[in-house]
Amino acid sequence: MKFIKQHISLIFPMVAILLGLEFFIAFDRTTKGYENSLRDNYSMLIVAKEDMSIDDFKSWDKHVSKVAEIEKSTIIDKVDSSFKASKSSTIHQKIPNFYSIKLDKYLNATELEKVKQNFLKSDKIKRVETFDTLHNSNYALFSSIKLAFRTFTIFMTIIGFFLILKQMEVWNFLHSERMKVMDIFGASLFLRSRSLIVMAFIDAIISAILASGIFYIIQNIWIRGNHIAILEDNIDEVFKFHDVFTLSFESIGIVMIAVFLVVINIKEE
Amino acid sequence: MSNIISAQNLTLSYERDEEIIKNVSFFVKKGDFVFITGPSGSGKSTLLKSFYGNIKPQSGNLLIGGLDMNRIKKNKLQELRSHLGIVFQDYKLINEWTVERNVVLPLWIAGYSNEIQKTQAKRLLHHVKLTGKEQKYPLELSGGEQQRVGVARALAKNPFLILADEPTGNLDEYSSNVIWDLLENACQQLDTTVVVVTHKIPSVFNIPYRHFTINEHGAIYEVH
Repeated sequence: MKFIKQHISLIFPMVAILLGLEFFIAFDRTTKGYENSLRDNYSMLIVAKEDMSIDDFKSWDKHVSKVAEIEKSTIIDKVDSSFKASKSSTIHQKIPNFYSIKLDKYLNATELEKVKQNFLKSDKIKRVETFDTLHNSNYALFSSIKLAFRTFTIFMTIIGFFLILKQMEVWNFLHSERMKVMDIFGASLFLRSRSLIVMAFIDAIISAILASGIFYIIQNIWIRGNHIAILEDNIDEVFKFHDVFTLSFESIGIVMIAVFLVVINIKEE
Repeated sequence: MSNIISAQNLTLSYERDEEIIKNVSFFVKKGDFVFITGPSGSGKSTLLKSFYGNIKPQSGNLLIGGLDMNRIKKNKLQELRSHLGIVFQDYKLINEWTVERNVVLPLWIAGYSNEIQKTQAKRLLHHVKLTGKEQKYPLELSGGEQQRVGVARALAKNPFLILADEPTGNLDEYSSNVIWDLLENACQQLDTTVVVVTHKIPSVFNIPYRHFTINEHGAIYEVH
């Protein structure tokens, strides 16, 4: 019972930390697709005095990824389809050029304003429409979800780390006598801490397997069962096989730091 | 004969505390059996601790097996300790290990094979009259038996120097006699140097010995 309690006391906070980290990774991965679709559906409108190429736009702002010229006839038709052909031809020559610009990433309102100002620095540009009201509401919703998840993850990690620190104090108490005796008889640091390292290593692997198992269940039972669109569309991104190794490395790294802290805090009598 | 312990103008103190051992000089030769006595708090155990590098000299020189304890590096200290046999009044056994595993601790540290460890454990436990208790745990033994395990552990690797801090304090007569016999034999038959800190020298002691005493001012005198 005491043995199980000793292990659970480390495994529990470690699983909490790993779940937090995996939530972070999985959320980043699954929302990447959603962020890309927001980005792809967004475009700004540029009104230019003369013909422009993509290189012109890129020279003003690095976020430009695609440029599509909007046919003047389409615009004239939208304004008034009753124009006579001759009149339409005159208007065609007089009206400026319209471009739809796509960006390389999903920008916030401040960044969008910066892009707009970069374009307006050129005297070839008459007007820039960023449609920032719609953009901002999408962006705010997306950012707040992201922020909530990150806060949750950070909170879980901090709590988990404090629990591990507590467990380290217990380890210190349990192992210090043995390590002091071994030190007196000339054991190296590695020999002295070997059983601690082995125990911590096993706990780290168990924690990684448990965290992976939980995510496997989330991916294959919970998400599929609850039909959450944003997650279902990116279900393969929730948990990937190589995450087991990532979690194992993270877990081993954390416990080895813990072991190191325990070992260096054990003083000779 | 070469000096195993050489102290010159040695002063010992714990950090920020007053000096415990003050400016003492003495030599212990190979094969010597030395008793160190003195009143409580005179610094007997502190002096013994300095022999295995647990406390560094505040001033003066201390050589153990030719190694300067003022300048000894961690790896050299580990090597030195692996060639010492240390016996403590409170035994310092590892309670979660079996008696057999405790006895062969110095051999395990030195990387001896399991077979050698088992053979040595059997032989040593026979010497300390604990045959059959190999798989017991220290807390299942009496104080006297635990101390005999401690002595067996100290002898496991044929050390060149045995340091014993009150090895028979609070022990029954039988266990005390077994321990004194073992230490006498190690000194006489293996030419091992033995330094024992004790309150009282045993009334019957069968081999020649030297006797140092420390007074309450931290000075050391050879009285025998």
